[in-house]
Amino acid sequence: MRSIMLIALLAGLFLFISNPVQGAEDVPDCSIDMGPCIHTVAGRQVTFDISPRPVKTMKELTFTIRATGRNSELTILLDLSMPGMYMGRNEVLLKKNPDGSYSGKGIIPRCPSGNKLWRAELTISGAGKVSYTFNVNR
Amino acid sequence: MLTGDSVYLLMFGAGLLGGLGHCSGMCGPIVAAYSLNLSPSDEAARPYTSLPHLFYNAGRITTYSIIGGLMGLTGSFANIVQSIEKFQAMTMAGIGALMILMGLGTSGLFSFKQKGDIPPSRRTPAAVLVDAVRRVISFIAETQTSGSFYAIGMATGFIPCGLLYTAYIAAAGAGAGAADRLEGFLKGMLMLFLFGIGTAPSLFLIGRIAALKRDWLRKRLYRISALFMIFIGALLIYRALAS
Repeated sequence: MRSIMLIALLAGLFLFISNPVQGAEDVPDCSIDMGPCIHTVAGRQVTFDISPRPVKTMKELTFTIRATGRNSELTILLDLSMPGMYMGRNEVLLKKNPDGSYSGKGIIPRCPSGNKLWRAELTISGAGKVSYTFNVNR
Repeated sequence: MLTGDSVYLLMFGAGLLGGLGHCSGMCGPIVAAYSLNLSPSDEAARPYTSLPHLFYNAGRITTYSIIGGLMGLTGSFANIVQSIEKFQAMTMAGIGALMILMGLGTSGLFSFKQKGDIPPSRRTPAAVLVDAVRRVISFIAETQTSGSFYAIGMATGFIPCGLLYTAYIAAAGAGAGAADRLEGFLKGMLMLFLFGIGTAPSLFLIGRIAALKRDWLRKRLYRISALFMIFIGALLIYRALAS
């Protein structure tokens, strides 16, 4: 009986981990292939954009962020993750451009499970965090 | 961006975290499948029952380290991945086929072991060819030397994996920032070596648990064990074709 329970537990673990349960927030809130996405955090409008389009995995991408308001002292960190599945730390180094925007290059890896939903989380100094959830193309 | 000496600790930590969740779910079935295929337990051999798992993980880590070194050497993730993508898909399909063969062997429906030489009267070219294929399949699916597990581990290391790609991206980034190519190569190799070490405990544990129960499973649920292996093999082939 214990052996059967152990096997069932292992099988259940495999299935659960291989098919992560997606929460209510794990739905796309950004159609990145259609254009930049805008969210608001701490009174600032933050625009998130990826080029080139369509946004594909395994290709070098340019991530561009613009924030309204005074941003001369801002630092912005960008972290890419897959909702529901641990994919390691994938941070994009952002540099400030002369026009006040921030940009950096990064890669979104392909998940063999077929899952295409990714999240870009921005940590903005003095403002907090804002995230964009979007589907990518293979 | 991962920078500085802390990157090595972070890679190990990523491997540990990934091993508990990601790897257990994605590679765990492969580990369980070959573990179920291990020979019946033998009291005299018991001290060595961890060896297959150690060699399997060593093989995996070898592949990760070599590719990590290449990422660091070139400083480019996309270029290296593009050149190995087709090979990765073929390897995944090959391992899937291996799992199916192991499953067929476990089910007792087929045995690929050669029973004696072909009698001279039956030595037609077709019979010799079939015999050669049978020997290769038997070697791959039923040989249980340390080298065979190391080879399986090395092959498994090529299976496409999103978590692994993230580690390779980090290695390529470290290489891009290195003073020279040798430094980049060594950094990339060390990063993936530590990442691989981090993933090992969970997969080792899965292998040991599955192996401990193999005799029990064989006696009572051998058909289910076989079906499990065949299912995993078919899933791998499907993913290889879909990629």
